[in-house]
Amino acid sequence: MVDLWYKENTDFKTIMPVILLLLLGIMSVYSATYDAGASVYFNRQLIWAAVGFALMITIMFIPFRTLQMLSFPLYGLSVIFLIVVLVMGKIVAGSKSWFGIGGYGLQPSEMVKVTTILALAAFLSERQVNLARWKNVAIAFGFVLLPVILIVLQPDVGTALVYLGMLVVIIYWAGATNFLMILLIAPVAAAVATLFGTTAFLIVIATTFILLFILRQNWLFSAMVFSFTVLMGVSVQYIFGKLAPHQQKRILTFLNPDADPLGAGYNVIQSKIAIGSGGFFGKGFLQGSQTQLNFLPAQWTDFIYCVPSEEFGFIGAFAILLFLTLILFRGVQIASMVKSKYASLVAIGIVAALGTHTVINIGMSMGVMPVVGVPLPFMSYGGSNLLTNMIMAGLLLNMYANRKEY
Amino acid sequence: MSEFNDIFPRKFVIFGAIGFVFILFLLRLIQLQVLYGDVYGKKSEENSIRQIARDPIRGMVFDRTGILLVDNRPSYTVAVTPSEFKWSNISYLASILSIDTITLREKIEKGIRYNRFAPVKVKRDIDFPTLSALEENKEKLPGVDYQVESKRFYPTGAKAPHLFGYTKEISDQQLMEVGNDYRPGDNIGATGLEAAYERYLRGQKGFELITVNAFGQLLGRYNDGMNDIPVREGNDLFLAIDAKTQALAESLMADKRGAVVAIDPSNGGVIAFVSKPDYDLTKFGSVTPVDVWKAFNTDESKPLFNRASLTRYPPGSTFKMVLAAAALEEEVIDLNWRVNCRGSYTFGSRVFHDLHVHGSTNVVEAIQKSCNVFFYQLMLKTGFEKWTRYGQEFGFGSSTGIDILEENPGLLPSNEVFDKMYGKGRWTQGYLLSLSIGQGELGVSPIQMANYAASIANMGFYHSPHAVQKILDKQTKQSQEILPQTRSFTLSANTWKLIREGMYKCVNEEGGTGQSAKVQNASVCGKTGTAQNPHGKDHAWFVGFAPKDNPKIAICVLVENAGYGGAFAAPIAGLCIEQYLYGELIREKPLRSISNLILMNQEDQ
Repeated sequence: MVDLWYKENTDFKTIMPVILLLLLGIMSVYSATYDAGASVYFNRQLIWAAVGFALMITIMFIPFRTLQMLSFPLYGLSVIFLIVVLVMGKIVAGSKSWFGIGGYGLQPSEMVKVTTILALAAFLSERQVNLARWKNVAIAFGFVLLPVILIVLQPDVGTALVYLGMLVVIIYWAGATNFLMILLIAPVAAAVATLFGTTAFLIVIATTFILLFILRQNWLFSAMVFSFTVLMGVSVQYIFGKLAPHQQKRILTFLNPDADPLGAGYNVIQSKIAIGSGGFFGKGFLQGSQTQLNFLPAQWTDFIYCVPSEEFGFIGAFAILLFLTLILFRGVQIASMVKSKYASLVAIGIVAALGTHTVINIGMSMGVMPVVGVPLPFMSYGGSNLLTNMIMAGLLLNMYANRKEY
Repeated sequence: MSEFNDIFPRKFVIFGAIGFVFILFLLRLIQLQVLYGDVYGKKSEENSIRQIARDPIRGMVFDRTGILLVDNRPSYTVAVTPSEFKWSNISYLASILSIDTITLREKIEKGIRYNRFAPVKVKRDIDFPTLSALEENKEKLPGVDYQVESKRFYPTGAKAPHLFGYTKEISDQQLMEVGNDYRPGDNIGATGLEAAYERYLRGQKGFELITVNAFGQLLGRYNDGMNDIPVREGNDLFLAIDAKTQALAESLMADKRGAVVAIDPSNGGVIAFVSKPDYDLTKFGSVTPVDVWKAFNTDESKPLFNRASLTRYPPGSTFKMVLAAAALEEEVIDLNWRVNCRGSYTFGSRVFHDLHVHGSTNVVEAIQKSCNVFFYQLMLKTGFEKWTRYGQEFGFGSSTGIDILEENPGLLPSNEVFDKMYGKGRWTQGYLLSLSIGQGELGVSPIQMANYAASIANMGFYHSPHAVQKILDKQTKQSQEILPQTRSFTLSANTWKLIREGMYKCVNEEGGTGQSAKVQNASVCGKTGTAQNPHGKDHAWFVGFAPKDNPKIAICVLVENAGYGGAFAAPIAGLCIEQYLYGELIREKPLRSISNLILMNQEDQ
């Protein structure tokens, strides 16, 4: 009987790519650290992978109701953690985002991603909550903005961006109106487009105008959203002009990394060289010259994608992209098949979190996204992140196992 | 759950978004890895493999007998690798190297602009105390290291700085001109043979391929050194110079101004090449301090100036053979044509002097005794054009083509030249009388005069003078002979006989002005000259060759402001000829007296 339950409730479509990514990640961390005198990272990563795997299975078996009930308390607890870390955390690489426990560091902002998803899901799945009401929208925003503000204070912009990605997707999934989505996305798009030039900015403005026209909502609101979008773009341009030259440079280097090959653009250039030089079949395990010669500082964290891309070539790079995409697709499927709205929102929140990480990290490594320090799910070195990812995988498995629950 | 009905289209939006990003990234992967994989592959190689240049040892220089003249010795150069250097150490390092902090900072910053991982040379040729101070503080000075370079070393008494020349650090301008083979901080031949034979002496840089990490730290040799490019040592030069003759000539010319050039008439090889005063080449070994440069450049005696090939002096009476040759060859006169010399010659309203009253003189005696009156009249009889034409045949008015590449072509006056200088019809025959005794506008260099002596020795056949006879490639062990350009002109046997007889008698017979050039059993032929010098005492000249039949050496000696050529230049020539022909000096007494005489003479001034 146990055998049957096991077959019935274990989602191998999630577990298999997770395990494969874990293995590739461990190999990559090994390769990136073994000649850099950093094998301690590999040993720790092994331990975390084991702990993470156990955690994933454990979470899969937590009763569904308990989970839902714990959502708010866990969220509250994690926000307190964020405040405490700001006051007494230790500074690593310029950010006050760590607790030191023994020799191991713990980064609350990682775990808080999970609790925020749970809390948001719990709130939005309440019967009376309707996103057509501005009050509820404001509360939903509040759930996300509170940790975001605390995280930006650390400061850790990358992680903050992940929260915003989560917010947009969850709100959308929870039934936000198209109008609300435009209100959320258009100003951000306008701000980013401004940095690419006037043409890009005008395209965003025009698209916003057309979408608002098609939706034909309240004219006054539409005009406000449109004005806000324009204002956002213009003010970003204004702020950009006021920035110190080195800050401008940092932003512009993202658009053209070759402009500053030994400075701000260094990582992007080295990372593109690492990936590109892998070619189709790669240079072989432990044979990647970029990786082995440590051209990228601390490559085992944010630039881990370069390692398999260089050593296993297109085959390896594609495999990782594929496994990550499969997990995301499976997450959306789970979100669609579960009966509980809470479970559905949790699943889609996890898809959003993992997806944002994947897009930013791989996009950054391939030179199509700005360099913001965000780890690659299941692969980057780092205990907090890996454990968080395994918890999220565990939650996906839990939602799948309880897909028939209401 | 009815709510989910309107969620379903959202499912496809999210599926679509994920799929869109997936395809976007896939295309980017194909672009990076499949389409441009080769490009990035190449970049990654350049990235991780660094070339460390190894400077070749500069070729050595030997004399005609195989004596080593120019060698190399190790010299220590301090280099700073900017990426490893700690700026807080800068004033400390500056004090160890005893240079000022600002200069040091500028040098390192210049290095950063070139490549912050590559060592930049900040001080060359440091002394031993500095080297040991660096060694002791190695731990405290990361990124500071020293490299062994070689500097020139001159083991014999033959210094010949104007011939050997020196190297100096390549300038930014030169770097742009000569391109890829050189890097900033490299040395390049600046003067003399070092410059003229730069491409042979230099050799080829070698490159060690080293794998480095992103911090520029060396990790080891690439492919066990299999792909390294080995250093090719520079080629050795074998000179025609005779070290002993050169050293003797240098010592005889000590404390004097002037030049000695000796040529092997059989092939144009330069046996001796002295320009005095000179300078100590070891001061130019690797880097020249500013104060040394200043001292040389402000020195009144101009030690850097190459008097052997860059001067342009009137040759005085040594030039008389040109006019004699022209007159004899054109049959203007013969041996029977005589002039009665009364010690002066009046032309128009001017009186042209002679040193002695020579009485009835023919062409042989005129050369022997250097009778001016004879040549004044001979010039008028022969004419300007012929004089100019024969002057050209002997190589005057144009460069000899000596292989150190620095010479003054001098000036051989002609109708056209005078017309240009003074205006047509504005100059008189009187000007020609000065030319007939080698004065006036005529300008020659000692190398031209030695070449002239060689052409008389060979009877019209001569080679462009060259210091280098052979270049040895140390890798292939093959040597390349230097084949000089040859020139020849024909004069009748009688003309040659009479001129050479005059020159023989000049040295070997009573009444000859060049008797102090006489060498036992060597039948030296020569001609003295005392060139008037508007700025001071006369310049003493001597040109000659020996032995008369089958000549082995042709020589020119110029001693500035010394006085009579017979008294001051001829004995030096004689001693050099003796040294060269016998391999040693068979007399000692005249050596001392000559040196002393001229020294005293200098003190008189």
